[in-house]
Amino acid sequence: MDRHSLTRRSLVGAGFGGAVLAGATTDALAQAGPPQTAAPPNPAPPKPGTLTTAPSSQAGLSPRLTMHAIDNFHGTPGAGMVCDLSIREGDTYRLIKTVTTSPTGRPTEPLLVDEAFKAGRYELLMHFDAYFRALDVKLPTPNFLGLVPVRFVIRDVGQRHHLPILFSPWGYSYYRGS
Amino acid sequence: MAGISTHVLDTDRGRPAAGVKIELSVREGETWRMVKTMITNADGRTDGPVVAAADARVGEYQLEFHTDAYFRSLPDAGAGEPFVDNAVVRFAIFDVKQHYHVPLLCTPGSCTTYRGS
Repeated sequence: MDRHSLTRRSLVGAGFGGAVLAGATTDALAQAGPPQTAAPPNPAPPKPGTLTTAPSSQAGLSPRLTMHAIDNFHGTPGAGMVCDLSIREGDTYRLIKTVTTSPTGRPTEPLLVDEAFKAGRYELLMHFDAYFRALDVKLPTPNFLGLVPVRFVIRDVGQRHHLPILFSPWGYSYYRGS
Repeated sequence: MAGISTHVLDTDRGRPAAGVKIELSVREGETWRMVKTMITNADGRTDGPVVAAADARVGEYQLEFHTDAYFRSLPDAGAGEPFVDNAVVRFAIFDVKQHYHVPLLCTPGSCTTYRGS
């Protein structure tokens, strides 16, 4: 696929392809999936990590916790990454939920929103080893990074919190995003 | 030289992070056993190796960096509270003949780690 067609498809997929969406809000665009009919026939089946969407803005959404996994090894979204979200209680972490990132590298739902969005110390345990093995990346055994804890604090539930994680088999970075 | 070393850099201020407490643990079955505690020196490094070559074993290790206390202790600490909780880096030694340098680049709102050299 050439770069121009990818870009055009991405724009169409994100809802920028027609004037019909002129009155739509950014929020609605962020939720819109790529319409299947807009894409030309694609000989290669989509696999985890294939880049098909443009960035989306979450500005203006209600307070919530969202995440985005970005695979800096392949240069793609981190699709299919299994993540265990836990909250600290005393000296241990209690599992809240396990999510798997969608082809955009984001889970389809916020990690926490509404009454589930509480202040506290959290851990997102990311299954790096399984992710790269599923993509047939040759790694040592045991791999340098296996189950990676990403620890962060939510203090003000009146604010939206976004947690991007940039990763490769040999390192990672995370930060409070937007 | 094999073994484990680290280096903590305060990328918010662009200088080594001195006085950061680091706890080393090793995985034993389903639990992590704390082995020792270190404090970074003025260069952001530990005075001795985190794990010396002779002590390196194939297995999983954990470094907990007490970045929260570090950022709060700074005289120029900003009004904002750190987003990153104490950074915990878990990694494996898969070949004891190799060296594992595991730096931490940190700010109150972000952290980065990688296999360095």
